[in-house]
Amino acid sequence: MSAEIMLEARNMTRRFGGLYAVDNVSFEVQRGEIFGLIGPNGAGKTTLFNLITGMTPPTHGELVYKGENITAKRPHEIAMRGIARTFQNIRLFGSLSALENVMIARHIHTKSGVIEGVLGLRPAPQEERATRQRALELLDLVGLADSAETKARNFAYGDQRRLEIARALSLEPELLLLDEPAAGMNQSEKSSLSEFIRRIREQFNLTIVLIEHYVPLVMGLCDRIAVLNFGQLIALGAPEKVQNDPAVIEAYLGD
Amino acid sequence: MEVFLSSYGAAIVQMALAGVLALSLYLPLMAGQLSLASPGFYAVGGYTAALLSTTVFTGYANGSYPIPLIVVEMVIAGGVSALFALIIGIPSLRLRGIYLALATIAFIEILRVFALNQPWLGGAVGIYNIPQPFFSATRIEYLLLALPLLFGAMFFVARLERSRVGRAFIALREDELAASAMGVRPTYYKVLAFTLGAVLAGMAGALNAHILNTWNARQGTFDLSILILAYVLVGGSRTFLGPVIGGAFLVALPEIILREIAGAPGLNPVIATFLRDGRLILFGVLIAVSVFFFPYGLITPELFKRRRKKPEKVTVEAAKPTPNVRGGNL
Ligand SMILES: Nc1ncnc2c1ncn2[C@@H]1O[C@H](COP(=O)(O)OP(=O)(O)OP(=O)(O)O)[C@@H](O)[C@H]1O
Ligand SMILES: [Mg+2]
Repeated sequence: MSAEIMLEARNMTRRFGGLYAVDNVSFEVQRGEIFGLIGPNGAGKTTLFNLITGMTPPTHGELVYKGENITAKRPHEIAMRGIARTFQNIRLFGSLSALENVMIARHIHTKSGVIEGVLGLRPAPQEERATRQRALELLDLVGLADSAETKARNFAYGDQRRLEIARALSLEPELLLLDEPAAGMNQSEKSSLSEFIRRIREQFNLTIVLIEHYVPLVMGLCDRIAVLNFGQLIALGAPEKVQNDPAVIEAYLGD
Repeated sequence: MEVFLSSYGAAIVQMALAGVLALSLYLPLMAGQLSLASPGFYAVGGYTAALLSTTVFTGYANGSYPIPLIVVEMVIAGGVSALFALIIGIPSLRLRGIYLALATIAFIEILRVFALNQPWLGGAVGIYNIPQPFFSATRIEYLLLALPLLFGAMFFVARLERSRVGRAFIALREDELAASAMGVRPTYYKVLAFTLGAVLAGMAGALNAHILNTWNARQGTFDLSILILAYVLVGGSRTFLGPVIGGAFLVALPEIILREIAGAPGLNPVIATFLRDGRLILFGVLIAVSVFFFPYGLITPELFKRRRKKPEKVTVEAAKPTPNVRGGNL
């Protein structure tokens, strides 16, 4: 397969005081793959997502997305380029309904301003209808269509994670970053998640980077896996290869 | 009726204007910004109308000033306020929470001192003899302008809340980082919300300059910031009806205490004096009590939702996340 590089991290480094949360990490993510990111607690996985999405500026290093240097871009500029994410510590708009949460992420695909919105002039009503329709479809996709009007904060934990995925998909990303999507899900939810992630990759032509601790999910799902330990990239490759890598075994056993 | 209007005509008009001012604070709050700058824009609006009607649109006898000209002044005042909002909003909206509140108070204070020292704004005396469109002792005729302004503002905010831009505001209020991750530009929408609020405050000021007949640096000071904040807190900050009802209620209440209760015949003179002179104390106690018992204000969105046919689905309380499988499993 002729691999197109979707995202390239070059010597990404982020220091917090004396701590190198991400330390000189370089890798490439290819279009269409499911790329696993694993590592012990505090290894720097979430920080790496924050770097990619512009929420934390890097100390050193460069990020290239589809050939464009996006290193110094702000979060909304990253989002506009087609990178969406979910959050490890769920960050839904708690007092808004599930439907509104998903509708908000259609922001960059709609354009009506204050006047159009208030007076109901074109294109606001058309956009509003399409946005609502699209959001309902996405809620249906994650199995929450029946609770579209329920406030986000009233959902069970696993459902909040699914709602976050629906919201991220609503942005129509090409690159989707999932930070521990299975955390807090029960066993049956976890096993269907794997199937679900594969399905959305096909349906939306996604490239997915996945942080996950639940090993069966990572091993069964990812095309390649990168392992971080103390901010450093200690292994990168196919699941079987990474699984048997002495440095990886050492990192996990020598906790 | 005559008696009622002569006692309450002015207060009824001020109730409507309080609603407009409360909405001017509610708008930035919708985008998560606690701004106390509304009185500043209200002052700017008042001066704009005062200047226009006394120096530009001259030649009308008092009592026959054309109403359309007041509307024109209100529009111009809204525009001037918007300009001020852009100038001070872009640098100060990087501040958050209490720091933004403090910066907006500084803005009000700077405006006040500036106005006090400018001869062309009348200095300490201010601008007086602002022409009126009505010969009116009760001022009740001003409802003709105040009510359309209030209802227009309510319509505007209500529609905005259900539009793309309004949702962007609310997303910022709920979680700025998550909103920006969904493509919402934080600074742009914060400045926009702040500016829209400024327009409303400026228009209210323009109208009130005519109602009061005079405008000076004592209009739109910090006390008004606190009053407007109270309108929103007491009324409720999660639906546009909250600030409007809060404003009307808190303007009406002192009037009623002053005129009806404190003026009641046979009332113990000590109590009557306290009600008359201590009404600000009562007012403060009332705000404290209502914020304590109604932390989300008197009017909440849930108040309306309960009447819908389909009740919200009862969901299980969020289960605590199970510990992740870690360490040694690879
Ligand atoms: N904003 C911050 N300020 C200071 N230190 C931080 C900050 N964010 C992260 N860190 C530190 O950086 C290190 C990496 O944290 P990070 O959250 O990226 O780890 P992680 O791999 O996602 O861990 P987990 O599996 O627990 O989610 C940790 O030691 C953390 O304490
Ligand atoms: Mg993490």
